[in-house]
Amino acid sequence: MIALSVAGVLAIFLLYTSIAGGGTPSVSPSELATRTGEVSLAGRVVGAPTGDAHGAGLRFVLEDIEGAHKKRVTVLYKGSVPDLFRTGRDVVVTGTRRPSGLFVTTPGSMITKCPSKYQAAENPS
Amino acid sequence: MAELGRAALLVTLGLSVYALVAGGLAAWRGKRRLAHSARNALLAAFFSTLVAALVLVAGFVRDDFSLAYVAGHSSEALPLQYKVSAFWGGQEGSLLLWLLVLTGYAALAVWFARKRARDLVVWVTPVFGGIALGFTWLLVAVSSPFETIAAPADGNGLNPSLQNPYMVAHPVFLYLGYVGLAVPFAFAMGALLSGRTDERWIVATRRWTLVAWTALGIGQLLGAHWAYEEVGWGGYYAWDPVENAALIPWLAATAFLHSVMIQEKRGMLRVWNVTLVSLAFCLSLFGTFLTRSGVVSSIHSFTQSAIGPWFLGFIVVAVVFATAMIWLRLPQLRTTAKLESLVSREAAFLYNNLLLVALCLTILWGTAWPMVSEAVRGESVVVGRPYYDFFLRIFGLPLLLLMGIGPLVAWRRASLAGLARAIAWPAGIALATGALLVALGAGSSIPGLIAYTFSAFVLSAIVVEFVRGTAARRALTGESIPTAFGRLVGRNRRRYGGYVVHAAVVLLAIGVAGSSAYDSVAEGRLARGESLAVGGYTLTYRELTERDGPNATEIRAVLDVRRGGDDLGTIAAGKNAYSVEQQVSNEVGIRSDLLTGEDLFVIAEQVRDDGAVVFRVFVKPLVNLIWLAGIVFVLGSLIALWPDAREERRLATRYARADERSETPATT
Repeated sequence: MIALSVAGVLAIFLLYTSIAGGGTPSVSPSELATRTGEVSLAGRVVGAPTGDAHGAGLRFVLEDIEGAHKKRVTVLYKGSVPDLFRTGRDVVVTGTRRPSGLFVTTPGSMITKCPSKYQAAENPS
Repeated sequence: MAELGRAALLVTLGLSVYALVAGGLAAWRGKRRLAHSARNALLAAFFSTLVAALVLVAGFVRDDFSLAYVAGHSSEALPLQYKVSAFWGGQEGSLLLWLLVLTGYAALAVWFARKRARDLVVWVTPVFGGIALGFTWLLVAVSSPFETIAAPADGNGLNPSLQNPYMVAHPVFLYLGYVGLAVPFAFAMGALLSGRTDERWIVATRRWTLVAWTALGIGQLLGAHWAYEEVGWGGYYAWDPVENAALIPWLAATAFLHSVMIQEKRGMLRVWNVTLVSLAFCLSLFGTFLTRSGVVSSIHSFTQSAIGPWFLGFIVVAVVFATAMIWLRLPQLRTTAKLESLVSREAAFLYNNLLLVALCLTILWGTAWPMVSEAVRGESVVVGRPYYDFFLRIFGLPLLLLMGIGPLVAWRRASLAGLARAIAWPAGIALATGALLVALGAGSSIPGLIAYTFSAFVLSAIVVEFVRGTAARRALTGESIPTAFGRLVGRNRRRYGGYVVHAAVVLLAIGVAGSSAYDSVAEGRLARGESLAVGGYTLTYRELTERDGPNATEIRAVLDVRRGGDDLGTIAAGKNAYSVEQQVSNEVGIRSDLLTGEDLFVIAEQVRDDGAVVFRVFVKPLVNLIWLAGIVFVLGSLIALWPDAREERRLATRYARADERSETPATT
């Protein structure tokens, strides 16, 4: 009985993964170069953002959060901008890399992955 | 002050070690006095933790910025209630809250069970001691809330999105839930350790499990309401890892609450129950780990910190210990009672359990998938909303249906004909509702339509149960309807409280389906005087106001709201600019229609220099039923929890006999 049910659940699971594929790869700017499909890109905002997210689009540069050889990628974003978006913050956006190197996002896909959300950014010591 | 806090935590550490080591020794060797002193150590651990907690609270209230934790999470201008709630605004304080709740639960549970389940408590004490030791160690050695610094002039302030009444209550309830699951776990492990594998540990912890489960449920609803009002993206649940972290153990605990009834009634599913309770507890540890370690990227996640590996180690110890104990006692746990029929109450409970666990594990799998795929394929893959929605429908909708059928099926063996008779009325009402909804145009969303039809089925099944019960009682006693109804519920609190909780789940399902399957949204940039139409409403942007609040500058765009020809007044949405924290937060405008449960939800996405505002407007039908469900849920839980003198007497005599048996020298 239980074995049967487990088998049933597994079958449903396989069915789902075969129909819908599975999720979006999460990559950092340095891993982006070889990508063609949709990915979610996590990085730190560097430099001042320009443009208008509710107009032609907001442009900003994302850099690797970790690692010795940090790479950068320019992102074009439209839609809601979370309150916590700012230079120096870590964000995740979903989209695809265009041949030009520009990362064009799915509108409204930005979430901030903010280290200082609950915790002070650096210890004031 | 910091020294006092640190000292109190060291005392807690010592007491936990004592409860673990001396308690374990006492239980193993059967030394009653030592067991007594170990138990008292556990009680004392609560008070020493309370001292540490009070020191931290005092630090916040007195703006003692020489405490690094206070300086990092508070500021002088912060209103008092948020100074207190800043206690759990960060990692160290949250861990301290965890420990405080744990030692509190442990002390109370052990104290209340000291007479009725004495031989069990002896073994439960060291288990609690071990769990407390794990957390105290983190607080003493890895992540102390009592680090001192040269006091800065003012603190960093509390994150604006946490300056909300819901964020005062939400974490507390969540922790009461998470940590409360430690009680049934500790008693289950105590039962396994002692070799007494009957249902006594379940009876001794029934109410604790219910308290924890209720608190976890309320905590999640408060969190959802907070997200809805404060985070302001127009939703209440985003399948974020940290939200899932609370949902996963809640689902496991829900399965456990149901399956223990079969063990109490029929003595079946013993292995399953200890497995479930271990799963629920380990998942609640895993949930804490997820939120504290920063291992999964989430909008909520805390800083990546040193406690990650420690915590993971702690979880591994718990999992290995629980697995080993179940394995070791497997021969004693086997039961002879067999499932007699696939159409019976037991079987319905079993299906319910399988669906709940399947849902729980698929959500867990999705949440952990970024880590798993990172380890296996070398690249982290995130599964999104479609994954979760798919499984919520696949497992959630049958679960909803089963919630209606289950209570109508007889124990042991039910005939299909009898079942058909029992569900005839509810099924008829459900089909009629479905047809009516299709006529009204609800067929635009098939899952939504199914959810509503099933909801109608469950609700009418519950009503039928109440009506039948009341009628039967009246026929027997000749009482008036209100008396018969009151006594019916009063004498079967567990059962009818459970039905009320079921009704709450139905309300939740209706609210979720309504607001996600039948909502409408519009977005537009409006200059003053311009209008936007959405879902039957027309909004006209009137003016922009600005005023200084206690710690923030509040900018609001005011809109006139009209529906049809009716003037519904104004709604305001805008942003708060917090000066100390240097952050801006969205303040959404919500207009709830209490009659239809519909919300008009306005976000001011962007305020431009020329005074134009980019608005995003949602119309969410029935969303208020979700919050109503919360109230009904609490009501149902309270009915099921309420002390029952008759039940107490029955249990007292039952265990008095059991104790006599156990205290006569064992001859076997």
